[in-house]
Amino acid sequence: MLAAVLLIAAMGLINLYSATYAGGDASTTAFFRQLYFFVAGFSFIVIIHLFDYRILLTWNYPLYIITVCVLLGALLFGGSIAGTQRWINLGFFRLQPSEPAKLMLVISLASYYYRKDTGRGFTIKDLGVPILLTGVLFVLILKQPDLGTALMFAGIFISMTLFVKLKWSTVWIIFGACSAAIPMGWKFFLKPYQKQRILTFLNPESDPNNSGYHIMQSKIAVGSGLKFGKGYLKGTQGHLHFLPERHTDFAFSVWAEEWGFAGALVFLAVYFFMILWGLNVCMASRDKFGVLLAFGIVSLIFWQAVINLLMVMGFLPVVGIPLPLFSYGGSSLMTTLIGIGLLMNIRMRRYQVRKA
Amino acid sequence: MQPSKQFYTSIKIIDADEVPQLKKRTDIATFVIIFFIVVILTRLWFLQIHNGNNYREKADNNRVRMLDVIAPRGNILDSKGRTILTNRPSFNIVWVKEDSPDPDEIIKKLSIILDEEIAELLKRVREAADNPRHIPILLKEDIDWKTLVYIENNHYDLPGIRIEVLPIREYLYGDFGSHMIGYLGEINQEELVGRKGENYQGGDQIGKNGFEKIYEEELRGEKGISYMEVDARGFEQRQLKGREPLPGNDLQLTVDLDLQLEAEKAMEGMAGAVIAMDVNSGRILAFVSSPPVHLEDFVGGISTKKWQELLNNMKRPLVPKTIQGQYPPGSTYKIVTALAGLAKKVITPNTIFYCSGSMVYGNRRYGCWKQGGHGAVSLHRALAESCDVYFYQVGLKVGVDGLAEYAKSLGLGTRTGIELEYEKSGLIPTAAWKKQAKGVPWQEGETLSIAIGQGFNLVTPLQICQMTSALANGGMLYKPFLVEKIIDPEGQVIKEFEPTVTLELLGMDNYLELIRDGLIDAVNDRHGTGTAARLKDITVAGKTGTAQVVTMETFKAVDEEDVAYQHRDHAWFTSFAPAEKPEIAVTVMVEHGGHGGSAAAPVAKKILERYFAVKSDVNSAKSVEKQASLR
Repeated sequence: MLAAVLLIAAMGLINLYSATYAGGDASTTAFFRQLYFFVAGFSFIVIIHLFDYRILLTWNYPLYIITVCVLLGALLFGGSIAGTQRWINLGFFRLQPSEPAKLMLVISLASYYYRKDTGRGFTIKDLGVPILLTGVLFVLILKQPDLGTALMFAGIFISMTLFVKLKWSTVWIIFGACSAAIPMGWKFFLKPYQKQRILTFLNPESDPNNSGYHIMQSKIAVGSGLKFGKGYLKGTQGHLHFLPERHTDFAFSVWAEEWGFAGALVFLAVYFFMILWGLNVCMASRDKFGVLLAFGIVSLIFWQAVINLLMVMGFLPVVGIPLPLFSYGGSSLMTTLIGIGLLMNIRMRRYQVRKA
Repeated sequence: MQPSKQFYTSIKIIDADEVPQLKKRTDIATFVIIFFIVVILTRLWFLQIHNGNNYREKADNNRVRMLDVIAPRGNILDSKGRTILTNRPSFNIVWVKEDSPDPDEIIKKLSIILDEEIAELLKRVREAADNPRHIPILLKEDIDWKTLVYIENNHYDLPGIRIEVLPIREYLYGDFGSHMIGYLGEINQEELVGRKGENYQGGDQIGKNGFEKIYEEELRGEKGISYMEVDARGFEQRQLKGREPLPGNDLQLTVDLDLQLEAEKAMEGMAGAVIAMDVNSGRILAFVSSPPVHLEDFVGGISTKKWQELLNNMKRPLVPKTIQGQYPPGSTYKIVTALAGLAKKVITPNTIFYCSGSMVYGNRRYGCWKQGGHGAVSLHRALAESCDVYFYQVGLKVGVDGLAEYAKSLGLGTRTGIELEYEKSGLIPTAAWKKQAKGVPWQEGETLSIAIGQGFNLVTPLQICQMTSALANGGMLYKPFLVEKIIDPEGQVIKEFEPTVTLELLGMDNYLELIRDGLIDAVNDRHGTGTAARLKDITVAGKTGTAQVVTMETFKAVDEEDVAYQHRDHAWFTSFAPAEKPEIAVTVMVEHGGHGGSAAAPVAKKILERYFAVKSDVNSAKSVEKQASLR
């Protein structure tokens, strides 16, 4: 397991080096920063092992409140980049609070569902608190504005809620409410540029210079890799700046361009091995909290990965979701590594319940 | 902060009956994950394997910018292989607008550096408005060294401004043969359409005139391609392997540099034509139409002002007079009349006519140029002294159609077929022609004018030269030609032009010899009309001619100097040498020059002098060489 994570991380670093490579002496700042975050992240994994993950059951609400405060802080005092307020400057590193917030949501939902679990299934009334928990974060993130991440929260909520036992009536009510909410959301909540992104997704070629540009260039990058790629550091789409965000959201495009279908296959094999392993942890856990927490973390990583991959391959609009462990970005990396640390923690302590 | 043991024991363990349910859900989750793996892999396969080549191509199109590299045009060489026309690099200022953050500022700076009006620069920018943004806009051609160095040094102050090096024509001998060489110009719409599939693009230079046009296919070479890798913002990253341009083929002319320059110098300030021809092949050794066109003015497009000046110039520099100037042949036509008379047997060398200074025919008096008259003249003296009355008599006896027959057999009235375009055919009148063209029958009196080369007769200087060559070589009418061979850039001759005979006069040897004798004395007898062309060591034979522009009756009383320029006579002199074994024919035509003997013959003399001087130089050099090798 740890081997898979290390492998992905290594591939991510190698790729990051190429993505930021600029001929001659590369600007290795990004590379080393990412490396530091990995080292820090792994030390977090070790630290997390010292605690029993079930301690989170007592800490979940304070942690949730801290998260909300940090998000509010980001909104009020955060540094603004390209008109969005997603960052809090911590001096040595700019924290993107929406990243750990994802993990907090998973922890909070897992805690709540664990506590309320009666074995008879949840009613719509029982879902009030989780909806509130999700909704607060959702709105805060949407205000940044970061639609992609906000939708991730909705995705985590839906995944985890579907995983716990629901009454069928509840399922139908939620389904009905959602189908009503989507057109409403389109009309009232989405900002024009976000609508534009979604429209572009439907027909990317219509506007190849602006909105569709990213998707087109990414598809070209991936496609031009052919079977075995153009060779490490030889990708043209990435190095000649045709690919936007090539070290963050579109990191996989660079990988696919330089290593081809073969390289992409290797990467995906390792990556999905890791995800399936996570699901295995979920099944192996003997307590409900462990199951829910593991499932939440897996779905968190899985959905981000799927959305990112489909995005770079031109199946989804550009929504700004990174590929966990692979894309450059300290906040996302730390969050993911902490999540993996928790997964390992759950696996390690799966028999402790019986012993106790 | 370790939670108590109690806390852990309070953790709910999953009920046994819930396990299968959980299993079912994780199975569903596994299924969802596998579903997405399949979707992603399918998509990946579709992008990279199924459509991969398509995307690879797009990626290359993204990054590779294809630019044509102009090939240097072929050189033009003289008969001895000396370069007359070649290329030199021209440094042009181009502007890639998208690389300039502040376009207005750039234009302002450039206006000062280049000493050009801002409006002029903006006009160029506007003209290129339709081009893609990465295509450089040409702001100024052929800047001087000082400006070049300044711009190179201040490179960082002028983002987007670049220096482009293009080969342009360099005229090593000024206006050397300007009419035959011709000039280049920007390709126009019509030419673009006409030359579809020949790799021309708007803005390319193409031959507009002369050899540059006729031998465009040979001279142009083959464009190269440069592949430039660019990044997303269009900045050039590195040069990829492209295709080098292939230089054009060289033209080696029959024209001799020394002779041509001598002839051009001799004609300086005069309007007219000079042609020197190898009588035994039709190779043209000098081909001058004066005044010349300044070819340098055409590089990069001629200004309207200069073009207007050329058009309005009284000496008509734009007309290549060698082939497009049509003049009455004047007395040079007496060669035709003499040949016709002899061949038709209306005269013999001993036939004598009496010249009293004029002759009355019908109710009109036809004068001889020598008002006192020549007295009793034979053919020999008539040619040498150019007696008009003698040839009036011959003309009357031969008739207009007989004259025309021999004029045509000497190449007059038809195009010579030289490779240049727009050659004029001249005009040799016949009775039938007049009836058809003017609607009135031929008047016998007009035959008298025709016999001495006036009236309807029109010839080009080239025709006269061709005729003179035929006279000199014993009746072979060679097609004149200017290009000896075409040589590829490696020096291999790919095409060689051979002399071709247009027409051969048979059984005329004796008559031609009689005429040649007459022409020898025209130059060498002290009464001859062409004594101004006499050389010390070489016997020159020649015939003068004075072609009336308007009937001189009007100006009879007026001193020649006072006659308006455009009313003065054209002066002819056509000659060959050495008379015993002719090699070269030289024809000189001076527009409004007055008398052939005084205006044209001295020009011919200079050329002949030069020709034989160069020849003896070569011979002595050869003999020195021979002696050296013998030692």
